Amino acid sequence: MTALLEVHGLTRRFGGLVAVNDLTFEVNEGEMIGLIGPNGSGKTTTFSMLSGALKPSAGTIAFNGERIEGIKANRVCRKGLARTFQVVQPFPDITATENVMIGAFVNVGGARQAEATAREMLERVGLTPKADTLAKELTLLQLKRLEIAKALATEPKLLLLDEVAAGLTSTEVDVMLRLVRQLNSEGITFIIVEHVMRFVMNLSHRCIVIDFGSQIAEGTPEEVLNNPAVHAAYLGEEASLA
Amino acid sequence: MNLNFSGPVLSQAVISGVMLGGLFALISIGLTLIWGVMKIINFAQGEFLMVALYLAFFLVSWGHIDPYITILVTVPFMFFFGIGIFRATISPILKDPVMNQIMLTLGVSLILQNLALMLFSANVQSVNTRYSSWNIHIGSVVISGPQLIAFIGAILCTLALWYFLKTTDPGRAIRASAQNPSAATLMGIDVPRTYLLAFGLGSATLGLAGSLMIPFYYASPTVGVFLGLIMFIVVVLGGMGNLMGCFVGGLIIGLAETVGAAVLPGSLARVFTFAIFILFLLFRPQGVLTKRQT
Amino acid sequence: MNLKAPYIRIVVIGALICLLPLFLSSFYMHIAVLVLIWAFLACAWNIIGGYAGQHSLGNGLYMGIGAYAVAFLLDRFNMTPWLGLVVAIALSAGAAAFIGWIVFRYALKGAYFALVTIALTEAAVYVVSNIPALGGAGGMQMEYHGNSLYYMQFAGQNGYFFMGVLLVVFILLLTQWYRRKRFFYQLIAVRENEDAAEALGVDTVKAKIKANVMSGVLCAVGGVFYAQYFLYVGPRSVFGEVVSVQILIYAIVGGLGTTWGPVVGAVLLVPLSEITRAQLGNSYPGSQLLLYGGVMVLTMLFMPFGIMGLAERLHQRWQHRSTTQVVDSQGGEAS
Repeated sequence: MTALLEVHGLTRRFGGLVAVNDLTFEVNEGEMIGLIGPNGSGKTTTFSMLSGALKPSAGTIAFNGERIEGIKANRVCRKGLARTFQVVQPFPDITATENVMIGAFVNVGGARQAEATAREMLERVGLTPKADTLAKELTLLQLKRLEIAKALATEPKLLLLDEVAAGLTSTEVDVMLRLVRQLNSEGITFIIVEHVMRFVMNLSHRCIVIDFGSQIAEGTPEEVLNNPAVHAAYLGEEASLA
Repeated sequence: MNLNFSGPVLSQAVISGVMLGGLFALISIGLTLIWGVMKIINFAQGEFLMVALYLAFFLVSWGHIDPYITILVTVPFMFFFGIGIFRATISPILKDPVMNQIMLTLGVSLILQNLALMLFSANVQSVNTRYSSWNIHIGSVVISGPQLIAFIGAILCTLALWYFLKTTDPGRAIRASAQNPSAATLMGIDVPRTYLLAFGLGSATLGLAGSLMIPFYYASPTVGVFLGLIMFIVVVLGGMGNLMGCFVGGLIIGLAETVGAAVLPGSLARVFTFAIFILFLLFRPQGVLTKRQT
Repeated sequence: MNLKAPYIRIVVIGALICLLPLFLSSFYMHIAVLVLIWAFLACAWNIIGGYAGQHSLGNGLYMGIGAYAVAFLLDRFNMTPWLGLVVAIALSAGAAAFIGWIVFRYALKGAYFALVTIALTEAAVYVVSNIPALGGAGGMQMEYHGNSLYYMQFAGQNGYFFMGVLLVVFILLLTQWYRRKRFFYQLIAVRENEDAAEALGVDTVKAKIKANVMSGVLCAVGGVFYAQYFLYVGPRSVFGEVVSVQILIYAIVGGLGTTWGPVVGAVLLVPLSEITRAQLGNSYPGSQLLLYGGVMVLTMLFMPFGIMGLAERLHQRWQHRSTTQVVDSQGGEAS
């Protein structure tokens, strides 16, 4: 069986700086993969390339057996690979429901159907009370949930979560944990970029650690936590691995 | 079509183009500062120039002041005029979407244009000064004296502004505020005041332009419509906020206008100018001199 | 029923407006026709400017293409404006698609998009002024055929008035209908946050091109109507920056991205400016444009969402307050 996502030699340069260097990994269907590393190690750049927002300088990305590197973000999304943004990206001047409808329109043509899907997704992420509120009036936690609802509405096979737990309280992180686990049990594959270690260690079946754009370790959360190279990479960073 | 490629005509067109280019650079320096550096959109910049031209015109024709002496009045007047307009209209919506700034300054330009029309009529006003018929002959090529002065004025103004931005404290404050307003605030820079200063300066350069232009140009309510568009074209060609680029951009458009006019019939040369502009925006939006950043 | 109400409102108001000729003198009927022309054009601009958020300052280009197409075909080939209309639509669609394709492919937005559109419509002025077959700088006078449906001409204003009402009702119904369609939702997403729209599967370039074509074609239809009413087209009267700004000013004052905004703007501003022109036009030329400039500045300073936008926001706030109260009474949300 081929993997759902196969990344080979993925590289991105910005001028002289190599942000992502020769990254190679696979993600199987149903997996939850943690992509971790210190600040500025290239995680978000990797996401941007996977989702089509950024063209790779080199390397290949195969999703569902189909090469997708360098194609536009909207087509990547329609193939079933969705993402959330580290800095939330709502459509501020329309309601939460309408925000999610934009995603739902990937699969349905009619507004009525899209609205039904949207309300269902808002229900899933616990935003039903805010369904008719303008996005610009939502709190950060609500906006993070909205990000997930929007992405879910596109019915992704693979969902890239970029720091959805950052800035949340401990209880809110638990809520987010349950939501992601539930979605995973329904068949959605995840790649998770996260600084909140409790979140990513709890969820990930497997972790990929990158530093300065290159992969330095891969394995189960326990293996990765006990890897000296990982410790070295995080040395000086306040983020505790425990 | 009357295609004329003969040597003298073309060399005259090139010289006139360079002179015109200097003029275009002169009127665009202010916009380079306020749009290129500060990212403030002012669609009324052309009308500011119109105000300066009228002011210079009245000082010369009614006040009988030497056009080059009027600089002492036009520059400070335009400085405070700019500051007044900025305070009253642009400053309150500085944080609004770019489009609101465009619409608002378009509104200001409509007001200024039509106030001028009501006050001074649609007539084209020009004044004969003792410099107006001063021509310099080099072989078969003629250079208008006042145009040459405007050209030199453009160079001096560019250098002065460059020196100001690079070496003085207010200049550094302007660049810092443009690059990162919040960081600039943390460094103790009064950012709103800096914006005001930049806008005032951008407007003051038009005072200089008005005085230098009046011996060979004219004032009319709609004079700023085309010149305003030229300013934006020159700034884009030169690269946003690039002072030297602004000069080069002016030269390109000046040459395009005069060489185009020598080659194309009627006012079609202008289409040439617009075409250059659009091609630049599409293929080299960073301008002639600036390196592309990715 | 609730979903149909906006449509019924449009039709009913349209029908009531048709009674106006019973009450208005010829001078006011002339103003009414002008209101309808500009309301239609502003509605057309609203698609690209209001919904898609791409503030074209050059839609006069498409209006001019429409106006010149019918004028030229009538003048040269005695072609009925109905056929001319088809040509106008085809030409403007082609131009809008080509321009949109180039401009949006290269991701020009904001001030750059505005400047390119100005440059294009201004370039059109200079091109048309230099083509003798199109009447050059003097423009073209169109032959008057009296009351003739074949020539889309009417004696007096009433015929034009009813035609205008039909057009405006049509464009309002169209906008209202699209408002609940995927296409307009995608346009709004593009306006609100282009990167997010792209990440959610919206082909933003294609959506903007489609909006540009739709807006351009409708502006050309408005141009046809304009030409048929005045029986004159001139480079600066249908092309150029001033006309283009006039087109959008009604939409901005009335409320960007709202169905009724452009109509409300035109209904308020056109009579004001026409009466100003009639009263002060001789002694103070430019008074009506001065008025427009002032209105534009005040709108941006104090009411950037326009009249309908403000009304919508007040309505939403009111609704929001009532829903929040419901939520609060149920214990609210843990935060």
